[in-house]
Amino acid sequence: MTGSAMVFYAAAVLTVVFAAVMVVHRNPVKSTLALVVSFFGLAICYVLLSAPLIAVLQVIVYAGAILVLFLFVLMLLNLREEPAPPGSSRPIQTVLSGVAIVSFAGLMLGLIRASGDPAAGADPQPLTDIARVSRLLFSDYLLPFEAVSVLLLAALVGAFVLVYSEKRA
Amino acid sequence: MSGPVPLLHVLILSVALFAIGLTGALLRRNAIHIFLSIELMMNAANLALIGYALSWGTPEGQIVVFFVIAIAAAEASVGLAIFVALFRHTKTIDVNQVNLLKW
Amino acid sequence: MSLWWILALPFAGFLANILLGPRLGKRFVSVVATGTVAAATLIAFSRLIPFVSGTRETVIESIGSWISTDRLSVDLALRLDPLSALMLSFVTFVGFLIHVYSVGYMHHDETDAGYARYFAYLNLFLAAMLVLILGDNFLLMFVGWEGVGLCSYLLIGYYYDREYAAAAGRKAFVVNRIGDYGFLLGLFGIFTLFGGFSYDAVFSAAAADPGRYAPALGLVCLLLFVGAVGKSAQFPLYVWLPDAMAGPTPVSALIHAATMVTAGVYMVARCNVLFRLATDAMMVVAIIGGFTAIFAAVIALAQNDIKKVLAYSTVSQLGYMFLACGAGAFVAGMFHVTTHAFFKACLFLGSGSVIHAMGGEQDIRKMGGLKSKLAITYPTFLIATLALAGIPPLAGFFSKDAILAAAFAWHPEKAAWIAKLLWAAGLLTAGLTAFYMMRLVSLTFHGAFRGTHEQEHHVHESPRSMTVPLIVLAFLSIVAGFFGLPVVFGEHANWVEGFLSPILLPLAGLAAEPHHLSHAVEWALIALSVAVAAGGLWLGWTWYAKQGGAVPARIAARYPAAYALVAERFRVDELYDALIVRPFVALSRILWKVVDVLIIDGVLNAGAFLVELLGDLLRFLQTGNVRNYALGILLGLVALMFYVVSGF
Repeated sequence: MTGSAMVFYAAAVLTVVFAAVMVVHRNPVKSTLALVVSFFGLAICYVLLSAPLIAVLQVIVYAGAILVLFLFVLMLLNLREEPAPPGSSRPIQTVLSGVAIVSFAGLMLGLIRASGDPAAGADPQPLTDIARVSRLLFSDYLLPFEAVSVLLLAALVGAFVLVYSEKRA
Repeated sequence: MSGPVPLLHVLILSVALFAIGLTGALLRRNAIHIFLSIELMMNAANLALIGYALSWGTPEGQIVVFFVIAIAAAEASVGLAIFVALFRHTKTIDVNQVNLLKW
Repeated sequence: MSLWWILALPFAGFLANILLGPRLGKRFVSVVATGTVAAATLIAFSRLIPFVSGTRETVIESIGSWISTDRLSVDLALRLDPLSALMLSFVTFVGFLIHVYSVGYMHHDETDAGYARYFAYLNLFLAAMLVLILGDNFLLMFVGWEGVGLCSYLLIGYYYDREYAAAAGRKAFVVNRIGDYGFLLGLFGIFTLFGGFSYDAVFSAAAADPGRYAPALGLVCLLLFVGAVGKSAQFPLYVWLPDAMAGPTPVSALIHAATMVTAGVYMVARCNVLFRLATDAMMVVAIIGGFTAIFAAVIALAQNDIKKVLAYSTVSQLGYMFLACGAGAFVAGMFHVTTHAFFKACLFLGSGSVIHAMGGEQDIRKMGGLKSKLAITYPTFLIATLALAGIPPLAGFFSKDAILAAAFAWHPEKAAWIAKLLWAAGLLTAGLTAFYMMRLVSLTFHGAFRGTHEQEHHVHESPRSMTVPLIVLAFLSIVAGFFGLPVVFGEHANWVEGFLSPILLPLAGLAAEPHHLSHAVEWALIALSVAVAAGGLWLGWTWYAKQGGAVPARIAARYPAAYALVAERFRVDELYDALIVRPFVALSRILWKVVDVLIIDGVLNAGAFLVELLGDLLRFLQTGNVRNYALGILLGLVALMFYVVSGF
C-alpha cells in the first residue's frame, strides 16, 4: 500500500465519521461544523484523485462559503433544540426509511461490483493540469458556464425577494 | 491512468456517504439537518464523478463537479432564504409541523 | 367602361351605407343608394347600346385568376352576351326604379339605422344579382346565387322584431338551402364531367361530343334544376315565396317578383346546351313548371292578402317560364322573364302604394272603392293586370302566347300526351290568372270602401318617388311585348328570338327546333288564349265588381271542404310540417335527450366521476409532510434499481 493510498483511506475514514456525526448530532451548529470537517476530508481525497482544482473549490466554496452561510442563518434564527412534539414519532415511516436506505445501499454496492473496474483510458496529459481543465471550461463548456452565472444571479434575486418582501409586510 | 486506490474503493466511499446523507435527510426533523444531509449526498455524487474522471482519464467529470458546486451555492442561498421566511411565519423549522399543503 | 364597374358601384354603395349610413342620415343613404344604382344602370346601358347595335359578339372581361390549381383554374371574368345583356338591361333598370320607389316607401316609418340597413341590403342584392348574371363561369354564378339568397333572407327578415318576418326569413333560407344543395351537387357533376367551370369550355365540350356526355348529363341537369326549383319557387319548394311577403313591399317587387326568383330560369336557359342533351330532365322541368303554374294559380283564387295573391301569381308565372324551358322554348321563357319583371314589379309596387295608402292594411276584404282616390296607382295597376292576364297588345300577351304556342308545338319523343296536357294546363292557368287578377282589382279598387273610418280618411295617393316608377313600369308593360311578336307577323318579327338565338337556339348537329306551326294554327291559338283570358277577366269583373261576390260565396258555401282546401293553400305547409319538420324536431329531441344528454354527457360524466373518485382516494397520499415525499422518491428509486438489477 502506497503512502498516498494510506492518506486516502485515512481521509475517507475521517469523512465518513464526521458525516455520521453531522447526521446524529442534535445541535445544528455542531452538525454544520462536523460537515465542514467532513468536506475537508473529501478535499484531501480529491487531491489524491488528481483533482486539485475541485479540491480547492471544495474548501473555498463549499466549506468556506456555503457552510458558513448555513452558520450565519443558524445564528440569525437563534434556533434552540426543541423536544419532539407528542405524536410526531412516525414508526412506519422510520422503519420503511431504514429498509429503503439499506436496500438502496446494498443494491448500489451490488451494481458497482457487477460493473467492475472500467478499463483505464490512456491519457497522455495528467488530469492534475489545472490549465487543461480550465481551458476546456472556457471553450467547450462556455455556454453552461455563462448560464450558471445567470442562475446565480437569479438565485440572488430570488433569495432577496423571499426575505425582503416579508420585512415590508 | 489510475489513482492511488482502486476505483471500487472510491465508489464504496461515495455510496457510504450517500447512504449517510440519505439517512439524515429521511429521519431528521430539523430542516437544517435535512439540508446539510442533502449537501452531503451531493458531495458523495461529486466524489463518484471525480473517481470516474480519473479512472477514464477524462476531465469532463471534474467540469461537471465544478458546475455542481456552483449550482449548490445557488441552491443553498435560495433554500436558506426559504427557511428564514418559513421561520418567520411559523417560528419553527421542524418539517413535521409544516404540513399545510395537503388534502 | 368595364363591366366590373356595374357591379362594383352597388357594392360600394352597400359598403358606404352599412358603414356610414346610420350616422349620416336618410338623405345621404338615399343619394348614395340610388346614385350608385343609377350610375351602374347608366354604365350598363352605355355598354348595352353599342352591344345591341353592333356585332353582338360575346365580350369577356377578366381581371385575373381567382382559383388556380393544377386541376382547376377559374378566372374572375364577366361576360356580356345576348342572354346576360337581356338580364342586365331589366335588372339594372327595374332595380333603379325600385330604389327610387323605396325612397318614398320607406321614408317615414323607419329609423336612420333601419333605413340605412334597408338600402345597404338592397344595394348588396343588386351587386350579387349582377355577379350572378354577368359571371362567366358557374362558380361566379354560384357566388351571386348565394349572395342574392343571403340578401333575400336579410330583407325578408327586415322587420326582425316581428316574429313572423323572422320566421319567414328563416324559412326562405332553409328551403333555399335544399335547392342550393342540389345546385352545388350539379356543379360538382359539371366539374367531374368537364373538369372546369367556364361556360364556353363546358358548353363547347358538351356540344362537341353529345354522345359521351348525354347519359350523365341527365343527372347533372336534374341537380341543377333542383337549385332552380329552390331559387325560383317551384313545386315542391315554392313554400318560402308566399311567406317572403313579410318583407317590405319594394323588396317583394324587386327580389321576389322581378329579378332573384328568375335566376333559376336564367340558369336553366344559360345551361340550355346541357338541358337539350338531357331530354328526360327537360321533361321533368316542363312537368314541374306546368304543374306549379296551375297549382299556384288555383291557390291564388282564394287568397285575401293582396301580396299573397301576387306571390302565388309569381309562383304560377315562374312555372310558365319553366314550362317554356322544358318544352325547349328557352327564348319564350326568357322573354316571359323580361315582361314579367315589368308588370309584376308594377303590380307589387302598386300593391305597395295601396298598402301605403291604407296605412299598412293588406287584406283586400277591407279595401274597395280605391280607384278614385288612387288616381295614378289604379290605372297602372290595371294596365299591369291586363298585361299579366294576357290581353293584347300588352307585354304579357306576347310572352305567354309564345309559351303556349311552344307547349302546343312541343312533340317530345316519349309521352307526347304529357305535352298536350301541359299545354292544356297552361291555357287553364291563363284563364285562372285573368280571373284572380280581376278579382284582386275588383275587390281593391271597385265597389264600396269596407275598411274603418280612420282608414278611409287616411287614404291618399303616394308621393311622386313612388308613382313615377309605377308609370314607367306600366309603360314598359305595354310596349315590352313588341320585342317578341309571334311568327305570324313575319319571319323576323320576333326581335328577341333573333337577339337570343346565338345563345339559346340548338347548336348545329343537335335536334332542330321542334315546331313550325302553320299560321292558321297559330292564329287559332292566339284567339283561344285571348278568349280564355278575356273570359277570366269577364268572370272576375262580373262576380266581384258587379255582383259583389255573391256567386263565389255561394260556391264556397256549397263545397266548403274544397274551398277550405284551396283557401288554406292545399295545406302544403301543414303537410311539410307533419312530414318533415315535426319528425325532424322529434328526431332532434331524441338526439338531444337520449344521445346527447344520456349517452355523450353520460360517458363524459362517468369519466369525470371516475377521475374524481380516484382523486378522492389518491389525495391522501398528499400528506403535506416533506419527508413522506422524500421517502416516496427513494422508494421509487429502489424499485427502479430492482428493475435494473433484475434486468441484468
